[in-house]
Formats: sequence, structure tokens, C-alpha cells
Amino acid sequence: MFQGLNFEPVVLPETADALRKEVRAFLDEETGWFPNSDFNTGASAEFSQRLAKRGWVGMTWPKKYGGSERSFLERYVVTEELLAAGAPVAAHWIADRQSGPLLLKFGTEEQRQRFLPPITRGESFFSIGMSEPDTGSDLASIRTSAVKVDGGWLVNGSKIWTSGAHLNHYMVALVRTEPASENRHAGMSQLLIGFDDPNVTVRGIKNLAGESDFNQVFFDDVLVPDDQVIGEPGNGWVQVISELGYERSGPERFLSSFLVIQELLREVGSNPTDEQAALIGKLVAELVTLRRMSISVAGMLEEGKAPNTEAALIKELGNTFERVVPEIVRPVLPQDASANFLATLNDAILHAPSFTLRGGTREILRGVIARGLGLR
Amino acid sequence: MREETRLINETTNRILSDLCTPGVVDATESGQFATQLWQTLDENGLILAGLPEHLGGAGGEMGDSLTVIRCAARFAAPIPIAETFIAASLANFVGATSFSGGVVTVANGEFELSENNTLTGKANAVAFARWAERIYIPAQQQGASVLCVVDRDEVKLTEQVSIAGEPRDAIEVNLVIDAADIYQAPSGLQDYARRLGAMTRSVMMSGALESALELVVDYSLTRQQFGRSISKFQAIQHQLATMAGEVAASIRAADSLIQLQQPVELEVAFAKSRVGQACGPCAEVAHQVMGAIGYTLEHHLNHRTRRLWCWREEYGNERQWQELIGHEMCRTGADELWPRVASL
Repeated sequence: MFQGLNFEPVVLPETADALRKEVRAFLDEETGWFPNSDFNTGASAEFSQRLAKRGWVGMTWPKKYGGSERSFLERYVVTEELLAAGAPVAAHWIADRQSGPLLLKFGTEEQRQRFLPPITRGESFFSIGMSEPDTGSDLASIRTSAVKVDGGWLVNGSKIWTSGAHLNHYMVALVRTEPASENRHAGMSQLLIGFDDPNVTVRGIKNLAGESDFNQVFFDDVLVPDDQVIGEPGNGWVQVISELGYERSGPERFLSSFLVIQELLREVGSNPTDEQAALIGKLVAELVTLRRMSISVAGMLEEGKAPNTEAALIKELGNTFERVVPEIVRPVLPQDASANFLATLNDAILHAPSFTLRGGTREILRGVIARGLGLR
Repeated sequence: MREETRLINETTNRILSDLCTPGVVDATESGQFATQLWQTLDENGLILAGLPEHLGGAGGEMGDSLTVIRCAARFAAPIPIAETFIAASLANFVGATSFSGGVVTVANGEFELSENNTLTGKANAVAFARWAERIYIPAQQQGASVLCVVDRDEVKLTEQVSIAGEPRDAIEVNLVIDAADIYQAPSGLQDYARRLGAMTRSVMMSGALESALELVVDYSLTRQQFGRSISKFQAIQHQLATMAGEVAASIRAADSLIQLQQPVELEVAFAKSRVGQACGPCAEVAHQVMGAIGYTLEHHLNHRTRRLWCWREEYGNERQWQELIGHEMCRTGADELWPRVASL
């Protein structure tokens, strides 16, 4: 049996049902957004703050940093409920999912005390700084550099496809602190860079849906103080890899098109054709299985494991699922599909190309899985 | 996984490694029943691992039986272990106080039991019927469900084989049944049998998928072309990664069945749908990567892929189960879809 192919069934804790009800009651009070289950579509600082007031941002973190010390499985319940409802979660998503956990794992005590409590209040939002104009999947080829100077690091270069940079407060940037060498993965470090620095420029890029959610970010002699280096200088690659279990295994990797399925049910009503029923059945069976696999990984994260192959498998399967949903429902649509349904469908079609790109392309994921199989 | 289940899996695996070689599987296709394999599994209490002791079982859970059945499928074991489980579970369902044991099978077809206990009817594709001592037959008697047990010698049997080369015989019955071999059953006996059958096929497919992946990965690591092993080619890696995703999902879907105490309809439907749809694409990748040698009868990849093509059709193919799920979800309605999914 291969490493990483086993997703041991995990049962959600007894607290899950009550928590789920609380989240649904909270969401019932929330209005004013067009629902979209894509975690990256729809950022509302106000929504994130109200969510944070309930203790649902940074909810697994220690109380001394503002967290609620709930389990990963409880966090799972909250995140899947938010996504299924199509809530605008983008503002706090990255900080909650991976920047905070990164600081908990590699940050100094001073950094945790400084950066984590504002995140848990929904007042501090983070972006990921990995891709560069000449660096997409080949992350080790980044060129943004940080040179040691008195009291900190002088950063020059550029990051691209940075979601939320125009709204967020910090970027966790992967930069070269040593020139590239024989060992491609050596000499990289992670720095916390504030978007309010005058030497940081954020330029919006419109995606094909016409939204400005991602950006190019320019660093022009940006001085990053020593106390904003995360972990050991030179350890950046290892740290980035350690984020992947969180980044790739969650429900956001297969729920992006969920509302298309839900609204398809509304369209076909209680008496669908067999063909419509079969398609819905196929999608629900896949969804239920993906969800159970994802919960298995949440259980592994809870146990402190690093399920990177498992996470890659969920993202590969999940992205394929969410990308294909809007395509395969088209042939079974009723002739008189409602405007509301078509809006949901078109929204999914327009966002679908990003599903298999962001957070590790399909090609990269297949490489990770192949390594898990012992092929590379 | 329960500790007992883990142990059962290990024991079954050991026995099958020794006694279910590719040669044994091939011999079955030439008409030889794998007697030693059957007897050894029986002596170790594995044939009815999950059945109560009064039915000759080991007193474990349903999942224990499914674990043995999945393990057997990894080795393409050509024995009616799934059919014996289904028959014994039907006996349990109707409240039988004993079970005949031995090699048995189940016939699913149109059977009618008359007032004077004459059973008539026929069934196609009765798995391993020619080697069974007894056949368990769900039937109708004046609108009520009954379970009948007949000796194989007493039925008219026409030998047929599945796409996998395994016995799937046609039988015809027209005989008076002894009252002791008739059990009054709760309504829905046939449906219960269908669910049990789909459960077995789901876990069997997941086992065969897993072993097909192992075979083909091993092959890709040793096969040299263009001066290196073909596993080094990205085109091969990506195909196998795709297959691994389908296999992982199938294993997880089957794991859900192994946890059940009863064949819950919707759960069976999820598994048969999810695992069934993985078979075609996975067999395609396996054969593509393995090239012409995998297309031969000589190489034992065919023991897995041919069974996948057989099992995905049995007890309802994925499309039929998907319709069931879909109609059920549409009755649930759009606003209750997510709460329903989240409760599963």
C-alpha cells in the first residue's frame, strides 16, 4: 500500500452539530452579498469582523493569542458552512488558514503576540507572496531578493497574482536571501511585509470575470526589520512546504461550484428526469466522498501530521470536480432555466479556470502525487 | 480501522499471498475450483468473519466480512466469498437460526413460490453456481417475501462465464421445496439482497483498483525505454497520479461501507456510484501504462481489470445508483441539500 492513499475515516466531534447550528444561525442574519462558494470571490472586512466576534477566525489557536483553542475538525465545520452558504470569506481566509498557523509554528513569541490577536479580531488580513512575473509553478526560481542591511533586510523585486493585496495588511513573502546556488531550495526566507510601506506598490489586475481580486506587488528598496523574518533565514522552502497541508486539503478545494449543484436542484424541482437525477447523484456521491477525505486530513492535521500527498490528492480530485461541475450540468438543464440559475452557472464558469491553477497547478499536484507513489 | 479488522486484513492477506497466485486464478478459468484456498479461509474463520456464531460465523461485524472480501479481491480470488456473505446475511435478515455453510451462492431473479411450496423461476449470472452446494433464492409467495434454499444438484444449470472468465451461470428452478428450507422474510428482501450485493462489489472494486495501481506502478519503475524507467516520464507520472486519485477516492468510499452495521441504501449508492465510475478510467490508465504485455492473458493485470469491468455492472451499475441518489436529493430539495450532505 502506498503512502498517502489512505484516508482513514474520521468522525466529527460531538460539538460539531451545535457549532454548525450556530454558524447557520449567524449566516441567516447576514445579507447583502451575492452568494458564491469560491473562497476567493467576495471579500468583506465587515463580514470577517463579525465572524471574528464569534470566535471563528483563528479558532484553533491558543487563547493567549486571541484564539478559541477549538479543534481542526471544529474549524472544518465552520469553514464548510461558510463556503456552502457562499459567504464572502476572502478577507480573512489566508490569515486564518495558513499565515497564522505558519507563525504559530515558526514565528517568535513576539511575532505571535503582535500579529495573531489582530487576525483573530478580523482586523488584520494576509496575502500569500509566492509567484513572481517569471515564476509560477517553478517556485524555486524566484528572484525577489532581500539583502541584509543594518537592522533588517532590503527587499527588491515583485510578486504577482497576489489575491487581496489591495485590501490586506501583510504579505508573507518568499524571497531570496542568498543567491541561487546548486541547491535550488536553499537560500530562501519568509518575510512579513506590510502593504502600508510607501515603497510597496500594489497594481490591480482584472481577472476575466472583470473583478480586481489579484494584483502585482512591487518592492522598491523596502526595508523589512529583522523582527519580521519568519523562522530562520534560509529556511523558507521548508516552511513554505509545511503550509501545503493546510493550503490544499480544505473544503475550499472542492466546494467552489457547490451552489451550481444546489441551484440545479431548485431548477429541476422534486420530479427530475432520470438523466438529471443521475447527474445530481453522481455529483453528490463525489462530493460526499471528497468531503470525507478532506475531513480525514483535518483529523491528520489535528494529530500534528504533515499529510502533503493526501492534501495534493484532495486538491487534484477536488479541483477537477469543481471545475467540471458547471460544464457537465449544461446538457441536462431545463429549457427554461431561470435567470438566477444562469447567473450562478455563469459565475462558476467564469471562475473555474482559476480552480486548477491557484494554490498549486494541476500539473504540480500530479507531480507531488507521483512522488508519493515513488515514481520520482 | 478497528484492531480486529486490521488483524483480519493481515491474516487474509497472508493466506491469499500464499494460496491465490496468478496460476490459481488462471486455473479457475479452466474450470478448477480453488478448493485449498477456500478451505484455508474457512478453517481460519474468515469466510463468515462478520456473521453471528449461531450462523457459523466468527461473531464479528459486517465490516469484518467486507474487509475479507476486499482483501480477496486484491488477489482476484476466484471464490464465492461475497456470495456466501450475502447468503448468510440474508439468512440472518430472515431470522434463521442456522446457516448451511459450505460453498453457497445467491440467485437474484424472478422466482415465485406457490401455495404448495413449488419454487419456479430463473436467474442469469448466478456467481459460481456450478461450484456451490446450495443456492439461496429470494422469492415471492402470494405477495410476501420468502427466502428459499435449494441444492444446486436440483436446479437446471447452464454454464456461462462473466467478462472476467468467472462462472456466472444461468439457473432454472421448478421443484417442491421442503418447508424447513423456506424462511418467511420481512418485505424488501430482494432490495436488501441488492444492497448487500452492491456493497460487496464496491469493496471488491476498491481492492482490485488498489492492486491494479500497485502492479502498474511496479511495472513503470522497472520497464526501461529510451534509456530510463518509464516512471521518469511526466506523461506516465500524470496518468498514474490521476489513477491514484480515483483509487484513493474509491478506497475511502468503500471504507464508509466497512464502517456500517447495516447496508444503508444511500451509503451503498454513494459507494457503488463513486467506485463504479473509477473503474473505466483506471483500467484505461493501467493498460496504457503497461503497454502490450498488460493486454495479454499471460500477465495478471487482466485478473484485476476484467473483474472491474464485471463488478461495476453487477447489482446495479453506477448510473442506476446515481439515479437513486439524485431522486432522493431532489425530494430533499435545494435548500436542504447542504444540511443533508453535511449530516452524512
